Amino acid sequence: MESYFCGNCGHATNHEEISLYSDKKKNLKLIALFLIIQLVFCVSGLIIENFTLGLTLFFDVAMAITAVWFFTAAWKENKFLLKWPNFSLKKLTGLILLAVTASIAVQFLVGLINEFMFGKHYTYYGLYSQHTYGKYLMVISVAVFPALFEELAYRGFLMQKLLKVVDPKEATYITSILFFLVHFSMISFFWMLPFAFLLGYVRMKTNTLWYGIAMHFFFNLVACLVETYL
Amino acid sequence: MELQESNSCACCAHHYETSAIFCNSCGFPLQGTKEQQDAHIANRTIKEIDLMDLNRKVDAASNSLYWIAGILTVSSVFSYFVMQNDENLIAFLITSIILIGAFLAFGVWSKTKPAAALISGLSLYVIIQLINAVDNPATIFSGIIFKIIIIGYLIKGIIAVTEVGKIKKELNIK
Repeated sequence: MESYFCGNCGHATNHEEISLYSDKKKNLKLIALFLIIQLVFCVSGLIIENFTLGLTLFFDVAMAITAVWFFTAAWKENKFLLKWPNFSLKKLTGLILLAVTASIAVQFLVGLINEFMFGKHYTYYGLYSQHTYGKYLMVISVAVFPALFEELAYRGFLMQKLLKVVDPKEATYITSILFFLVHFSMISFFWMLPFAFLLGYVRMKTNTLWYGIAMHFFFNLVACLVETYL
Repeated sequence: MELQESNSCACCAHHYETSAIFCNSCGFPLQGTKEQQDAHIANRTIKEIDLMDLNRKVDAASNSLYWIAGILTVSSVFSYFVMQNDENLIAFLITSIILIGAFLAFGVWSKTKPAAALISGLSLYVIIQLINAVDNPATIFSGIIFKIIIIGYLIKGIIAVTEVGKIKKELNIK
């Protein structure tokens, strides 16, 4: 039978657990600060009418710096996520294939939905096509930066902070929902939410960010290739 | 206070060994003075009252999610009749259905996972207000009192959820 109070002195034996609760408010405030900064970037993107390539890259870099800053602010508790324990080529290949297949399906479905709902086709490539190295810049901006820095921010910093507030399942759900919400595309919920949940699940199971980074990169890379060549 | 012959704690009714000085389950001073025992019971009662108050805040926050879904439903129906010939009607309808469904789902989810549901609900509500404000800044002031009340309830609810967990640990209740 578990004892919660010492029979001799009456002190709580779970006082360490109780003391963790005092940190929860502090962690919630940090999470709120992180989200506010993310929302400032996202809303700025909505306000600016004529988005140039320069502005796009500026926001990419600004969000990357923010992600690195938050992640490294709690370096001791986060750094283990940058290791790759129990690396498995089979697992990596399988997850990348899954991401590629999912991306192809999503590109097809999103194209159909855009035609049905808006009567037109939306493309990322228009912004980059004028530049000599447009294709490479698009890969960096759409595939490399989000894969690295969104994973660092959401499955890295945000997930770690949420694990101090709620249980692992709730932390995965919340991270996924918040990741989806900051993309400001409600109609994309049918693919973005499951994808975000998969990334969170993989991070929790493998205790590393690298599988998620690889999946995220290849998912977005396929989107770039579809935009450019199809 | 005399020791209970039945060896049940006077505070939490948990069984204890005759040699125990404090109850293992609640920390009640089994062999303490009447003043010590009354003080322990009083402290525990205060925490239980705080717990009830916090649970009320969590419930109020959960109900806010249903209120948001209700308000969205009403405004969507109204906007549907206004937008009858608008080319974006289908997109508007689909988005509205998704949002109303999301808040209803968060409301139901808040019964089992209140922290996740309230954080997600608050984030979604704030984002909707921001998008509306970018589209039409005048909407910031439309229903502002209601918006402040809702956001207040949701924030209080999130904080209350963490406090509930702490008090339950202190009182050793599930």
